Amino acid sequence: PDFESSFVCCVWLCVSGGAGLYCNRTWDGWLCWDDTPAGTVTWQNCPNYFPDFDSTEKATKICSESGQWFRHPDTNRTWSNYTLCNFHTTGKLKMAYILYYMAIVGHALSIASLLISLAIFFYFRNLSCQRITLHKNLFVSYVLNSALTLIYLIAVVNNPDVVGRNPVGCKVLHFFHMYMLGCNYFWMLCEGIYLHTLIVVAVFAEEQHLHWYYLLGWGFPLVPASIHAVARKKYFDDNCWMSVETHLLYVVHGPIMAALLVNLFFLLNIVRVLVTKLRDTHRAESNMYMKAVRATLILVPLLGIQFVIFPWRPENRLAGEVYDYIMHILMHYQGLLVATIFCFFNGEVQAALKRQWIQYKAQWGQRRRDHCSMRSTSYTATSITEVPAFMYHHDCNSEHLNGRHTSEDSELVALKTGETYA
Amino acid sequence: MASETTPVLSKQVLLWLVVACQSVSVMACGGTYEYAIEEFCLGKFRLDMEELDQHHWCSWEDTVEPYGELTNCTYLIALKMDCFWPNRQVDEFFIRIHKHYFHDCSLSGRQLRDPPNHILGPFIVVPILVTLLMTALVVWRSKRSEGIV
Repeated sequence: PDFESSFVCCVWLCVSGGAGLYCNRTWDGWLCWDDTPAGTVTWQNCPNYFPDFDSTEKATKICSESGQWFRHPDTNRTWSNYTLCNFHTTGKLKMAYILYYMAIVGHALSIASLLISLAIFFYFRNLSCQRITLHKNLFVSYVLNSALTLIYLIAVVNNPDVVGRNPVGCKVLHFFHMYMLGCNYFWMLCEGIYLHTLIVVAVFAEEQHLHWYYLLGWGFPLVPASIHAVARKKYFDDNCWMSVETHLLYVVHGPIMAALLVNLFFLLNIVRVLVTKLRDTHRAESNMYMKAVRATLILVPLLGIQFVIFPWRPENRLAGEVYDYIMHILMHYQGLLVATIFCFFNGEVQAALKRQWIQYKAQWGQRRRDHCSMRSTSYTATSITEVPAFMYHHDCNSEHLNGRHTSEDSELVALKTGETYA
Repeated sequence: MASETTPVLSKQVLLWLVVACQSVSVMACGGTYEYAIEEFCLGKFRLDMEELDQHHWCSWEDTVEPYGELTNCTYLIALKMDCFWPNRQVDEFFIRIHKHYFHDCSLSGRQLRDPPNHILGPFIVVPILVTLLMTALVVWRSKRSEGIV
């Protein structure tokens, strides 16, 4: 069916062979078979001429003891075994559809949860401070990434004729997809660097200039994405750049893995500093920061593990399916995970939501409790249980310090090293 | 006497004729077929390839049409002569053509493959190094903004 394969094979057939008893190299109509020693079975990957042939399956050909290719008993003609190529195809197609819909659901859920989190962060103005600003940027990059992935999945992956036509638009879409993927991981890195600067470098100091973080998070990912686009265009210009069989993908995945490793290193360093140096002198404080670091420290390996186990797909059929499910969950439900850990599991967000809910209930005629005063006393009294909330106010104390929290400053002043506030 | 021998004689003739016809048809898919494809198909292919500059003989995009026509031609003749296709004669015919026209073409084919390592390496390593540099820059700048150098 493919003239070029026969062309290439025949070119190669002209070169003369070696010695010993072997079956001669031959063209069987679909694939070219090399000189094979007598009494062995040789194999190749199935060709992709037919839609239901899976090119990861194997086609085999038997060379008999006498140096002749195996002949099929019914027709007495030389015969190669292509039965495995389309044997499992219907099952695999079904699995592929399941994974496809899983991916779409994952990204849709991620977008929904991230938009809710952003709404929470924008609505509750008193939550906002520098770390929350970084969270907002991270969430926006995840939303854009999920949106682009959804468009890519629905418009390109599910559409073989678009892939066949190979318009420039689908390559541009792929470029932006790679860019947004980079943005996700570089914003995680920004979070790590921010915490590192805050805790280790300039111990518990207030304002940092966020310009460099914006540059690293939004600007820098253009670099690997552009280099990937150029390399792909020049060396591996397949239709819509869909193939994942190329090492050129490491042009984008390499910097991402580097960012994750650096992030992990920073976070472990923070933990080391908190545990060793600050434990004795600033116990309550280090506990607080530990909670903040813990969230990021949980996320970074979860985001990164997909890159570590990606190359090792098991050969076994069942294990391979399990691997596919796990990889898809790790890859496509990340936005949901980030929103949950950074927003929904955040103590202060939960407190703010509870307050709002109580206010609404009070508006509908229920007895109103004085939550503002309860909140401030609970901060000073129970520093451990309300620790995350404490931490964020501490983070933001440069903005709020001379405002309504002066009553609780006694505790805060004791925590801040060598600084006094009026 | 003659009437008894004639049926025997005609039977022998018939037998011989049948045998001869069989061998002729077998020979037809051997020698005659080979002669037919050389006569009818090879001439056009030669003309087409001569029109193409010799340097383009190894370019698949340029040779696909004449090559396809040649293959089609051998198939049609096999069909007309009631022979199985492909067969040994057609294989040897194509091997001769390849030896003449395509003996020094490269074997890599059109399959997309990664660039060689000395190109792939820098493409991967340079962005990683730039990433690490950029990270160091951001850490350094945020240190400086605290007044701690």
